[in-house]
Amino acid sequence: MSDLLNIKNLSVDFNTPHGVVRAVNNVSFDVPMGKTIGLVGESGSGKSVTSLAVMGLIPNPPGEISEGQILFEGKDLVTMPEAQMRKIRGNDIAMIFQEPMTSLNPVFKVGSQIAEVLMLHMGMNPKQAWEKSVDLLNQVGIPNPKASAHKYPHEMSGGQKQRVMIAMAIACEPKLLICDEPTTALDVTIQKQVIDLMFDLQDKYNMGMLFITHDLGVIADIADDVVVMYRSNLVEKNTTKKIFTHASHPYTKGLIACRPALDKNPTRLLTVSDFMDENEKELIVPPERMKKVDKVYKFNEEENPILLEVKDLHVHFPLKGGILGRTVDHFKAVNGVSFKLRKGMTLGLVGESGCGKTTLGRAILRLIEPTAGEVIYNGANITNLDKKQMRAMRSKMQIIFQDPYSSLNPRMTIKDILLEPMDLHNIGANKKEKIEKAKWLMEKVGLNADQLSRYPHEFSGGQRQRICIARALAVSPDFIICDESVSALDVSVQAQVLNLLLDLQEEFGLTYIFISHDLSVVNFISDEVAVMNKGEFVELDKANEVYLRPKQQYTQNLLSAIPKGIPKELLAEQNS
Amino acid sequence: MSNNWNYIIRRILYLIPVLLGVCFLVFILFNVTAGDPVLMLLGKHGSPEQAAALREQLGLNQSWFMQYVDVVKSAFTFDFGRSWSTKQEISSMIAHGAIPSLTLSLPAFFLSTVTSILFALLVAFYRGKGIDLFIRVTCIAMMSISSLVYILVFQYLLAYKWGLFEISGYEFGFPNFIYYVLLPIIIWVILSLGPDIRFYRTLILDEIYQDYVRTARAKGLTEKKILFKHVLRNAMIPIVTYTVVQLPFLLLGALLLESFFSIPGLGGMTINALNSSDFPVLKAITILSAIAYIVFTLIQDIIYTIVDPRVKLQ
Amino acid sequence: MLEQTAAENMEAKLNDEINTIGKSRSLWADAWHRLVQDKIAVSCLIIVGLYALVALLSGLGLIAADWSQEVGPSYAPPFENWDYILGTDLFGRSVLTKVIHGTQVAMSVGLVSSLIAIPIGVALGALAGYFGGWVDEVIVWFYTTVSSIPGIMLLMSIAFILGKGITTVYIALGLTSWVGLCRLIRGEVMKHKNREYVQAASAIGAGHPRKLIKHIIPNVTHIVIIFTSLQFQVAIKSEVILSYLGIGVSGQPSWGTMIDDAKLELAREVWWQLAGATVAMFVVVLAFNILGDALRDALDPKLKGKS
Repeated sequence: MSDLLNIKNLSVDFNTPHGVVRAVNNVSFDVPMGKTIGLVGESGSGKSVTSLAVMGLIPNPPGEISEGQILFEGKDLVTMPEAQMRKIRGNDIAMIFQEPMTSLNPVFKVGSQIAEVLMLHMGMNPKQAWEKSVDLLNQVGIPNPKASAHKYPHEMSGGQKQRVMIAMAIACEPKLLICDEPTTALDVTIQKQVIDLMFDLQDKYNMGMLFITHDLGVIADIADDVVVMYRSNLVEKNTTKKIFTHASHPYTKGLIACRPALDKNPTRLLTVSDFMDENEKELIVPPERMKKVDKVYKFNEEENPILLEVKDLHVHFPLKGGILGRTVDHFKAVNGVSFKLRKGMTLGLVGESGCGKTTLGRAILRLIEPTAGEVIYNGANITNLDKKQMRAMRSKMQIIFQDPYSSLNPRMTIKDILLEPMDLHNIGANKKEKIEKAKWLMEKVGLNADQLSRYPHEFSGGQRQRICIARALAVSPDFIICDESVSALDVSVQAQVLNLLLDLQEEFGLTYIFISHDLSVVNFISDEVAVMNKGEFVELDKANEVYLRPKQQYTQNLLSAIPKGIPKELLAEQNS
Repeated sequence: MSNNWNYIIRRILYLIPVLLGVCFLVFILFNVTAGDPVLMLLGKHGSPEQAAALREQLGLNQSWFMQYVDVVKSAFTFDFGRSWSTKQEISSMIAHGAIPSLTLSLPAFFLSTVTSILFALLVAFYRGKGIDLFIRVTCIAMMSISSLVYILVFQYLLAYKWGLFEISGYEFGFPNFIYYVLLPIIIWVILSLGPDIRFYRTLILDEIYQDYVRTARAKGLTEKKILFKHVLRNAMIPIVTYTVVQLPFLLLGALLLESFFSIPGLGGMTINALNSSDFPVLKAITILSAIAYIVFTLIQDIIYTIVDPRVKLQ
Repeated sequence: MLEQTAAENMEAKLNDEINTIGKSRSLWADAWHRLVQDKIAVSCLIIVGLYALVALLSGLGLIAADWSQEVGPSYAPPFENWDYILGTDLFGRSVLTKVIHGTQVAMSVGLVSSLIAIPIGVALGALAGYFGGWVDEVIVWFYTTVSSIPGIMLLMSIAFILGKGITTVYIALGLTSWVGLCRLIRGEVMKHKNREYVQAASAIGAGHPRKLIKHIIPNVTHIVIIFTSLQFQVAIKSEVILSYLGIGVSGQPSWGTMIDDAKLELAREVWWQLAGATVAMFVVVLAFNILGDALRDALDPKLKGKS
């Protein structure tokens, strides 16, 4: 088996205003012909920079390959003149990017964008190239390829756009295909389809593939070998099976452990830092969570009364049309949802993008006014409350948002952010008491109380999410909605925040609604799970019932699309 | 498509409140706050009888509401009455003045736009390099001098001192007018280069940092091809729409240039009207240029739907 | 953008390290820090400061108060006599003194017109962007109407109605320049209104005034700062045009009236009034131009390197 690509001692530097930063440090690995190498790492690990270096697309300035070789079929791409490099790019080495929404040129038809590569590298005339484009669109599974070639990118869905990107990449039958998080922006069912497609194509054209992702589940499904990067360094490379069974580096171990699995339900997730800090200690996965769910399901009215009841809730958004812009129709974001939630429980709310889960969450808190239906909290119908009463009510119910970067006001200090809810709800007798409480909150969420005078931009994503949690806790609520609260975080950080949420639930008897598109995360944290599609609940049951014995076809499809996170060979062994 | 038509019809209907607003502003400015024009017109020696007669004649003895209605009426019929100072029909004055204005502004605008876009592309191609810096610095420096200084110095040196161009005046008819508008055109182009290059450069660079450019690079295209095909086609969207809204202002010509070079266009006419407190002419020009502006913003929106396949008008 | 994200991540990492030692810094302090690292921007800031100082001293009557005094013969050329180093005008008045007094006029025109435009633009823009609905429609209608009339016509009409004088220049320039600011603020407020931090404020029970004034407005103030820096140079240049049109400053010298005088002077080879005013104006307008760019880069790092 000959190597297609050898990366030898590659280092990439970026010149920043603070000095030179090494984005990739002395990284070496090979991509053999016809094989898939998974390149895994979290944000800032240098994995994307590595792939751009192979393409010769490191922006210079500020970036610069300072050391090393990238040998493609024995020729060094680092020293290759740009004109020669251009002949390889798009021809022998092709690349697919993460954002299908923005990676296609919005003003050209998709057919002509594919044809462009063919004319450039294959010397085809426009007519031949167009015909070949239609053929390629057919190969990547675009319905009605002849007509679709005339479409503009915005007329296609995200999944279709990524298929077009794939068609463009394989147009010249490249020897090496680089995929930089190609499915991260897609829904889980679409992700599965796209990955299956790439598999087939790899087989057909015998391409070498460098597959970059942060998602170990995906890697297990597709990669032959795995390379793990951490803070600009390569920390481990091995076959996929060995990585998942006998990882040697503590970071890799942590990465594998901190990902919630579908079939186990531990009380806590192990985190990367568990492995990194306590190298010597023996780590044991905590035992299965005491199934408090079953207990609660015996309808223990005294210990777990119903805290929240939603009755036939509707949220409709008007669609405008006609000459005068009158409302001609409604978009039914939430269309008749009912459920009951007991105190101290967590309801997980899953569904693909656009299913209405976020709108439902906000409507329960009346951040969006419901069109119809009732929300009964602790026996009181809050949809009838006037503005003033509702504001008072907000100390009972809180929300934690998705994006830790936009959910904190960048012009306020952490102290101001934490004191504001206390001021609004007259918590704490005086300023001193409030500050004491703010410090206490900081410690509760695992932050240093001395950092109160800092500003949000001085914290990392995970820390910011902790601040958001502290802000929600500042009014001592009973009920918190977590809207994709860990989705923007790296898996290792995600695990820490999930653990924190569980600890806080235990300590303060909180009730959660946990909204997420990530089924494994929801499974880990929830007692009950509701699957949502097109504004309605498809299925609502105890978490393990939904996951192990899904009753609806939709749920089954959703679950089967989740990457198993178990390498192929291992799966085969298990089955036999 | 029907959606687009609905939008366009809605947009046209929207012109009405804006036009009524413009008329109201004009009415407030000239009829309400500007003071009594009769005193200005008659001077100190007018008798009260004369004043009353003149008021009657100008329609100033009507109620505020009727005066406003008059303004609105003129905006829809283009009948602005007669000038107070020249006693001519204003609509024919404007028709007559439009020709010299356009012979100056159209070629000047065309030249300056093409030159600026070319420079902007050049600068974008060499972004971050010496030539980029040089042109940018020159642009800012050129923008920091008053336009009046350019006109004064160019007219004095090129026309008066060295006799390369006509100092001032105008002749109707081709090709005679060319001799008179040549220098004003040159000055116009020089005046617009600075801000335009900077603006177009920003538009082009906005596109250069988009993801699709990275895709184009990954395809193996040359930088030149990326810039002239992918980037320019996208940058043309804001460039075209920006250019279109500039057009109505061309009608007014260049106020300063026309007045300096005694070109009998609308700009010069405006300044004369200002100096002689000729309210009807000022009102007519204000309303007409507002109408032109409103109509061209509508055209801009429509063109937008043509050049940008993404736009689905709502 | 991947490469940028990578670089930013690196920066964030470095920032973390710096922050663990250093003191905490607000975004404003951060921006200021970025600005003062730019040597050219600092020079521009100093130039603007000097002009402001000259304007202030002249305004207090400490310098150039005697601009109307005859110090030499009519149209004496420059660099011949220390009493009128930049020459004299028709009435034998010192050009240098007039330029200094003109500085006072120029800076005050920039300042006062900004002070008029900013409250109108921010208030209307914030209300329209935040509340949307009919409030937005009325405000958008209003500024569409105003902007439909060519700026120069509006300027002339206002100046004409109010009569000659510096107050007219202030008001006319102030009333014609708020529209651009209003548009920008409206767009930015609309963007911020949907940010999660504002929703989080709703969730803890904050009302409209609090969300708008305490949360959103501080996040759009950078636009006001950039606007002011550009408004100064626009106002200074407009003053010249108004002078030419005969509706500018009267009864005192300004750069505009000095340049306007050159209409007649150039034919007599008298160039020094024009040159004096033009150079004085060039330096400060250039400084404001560069400062405007630098401020935008410093306050809005997303746009860095794009202009």
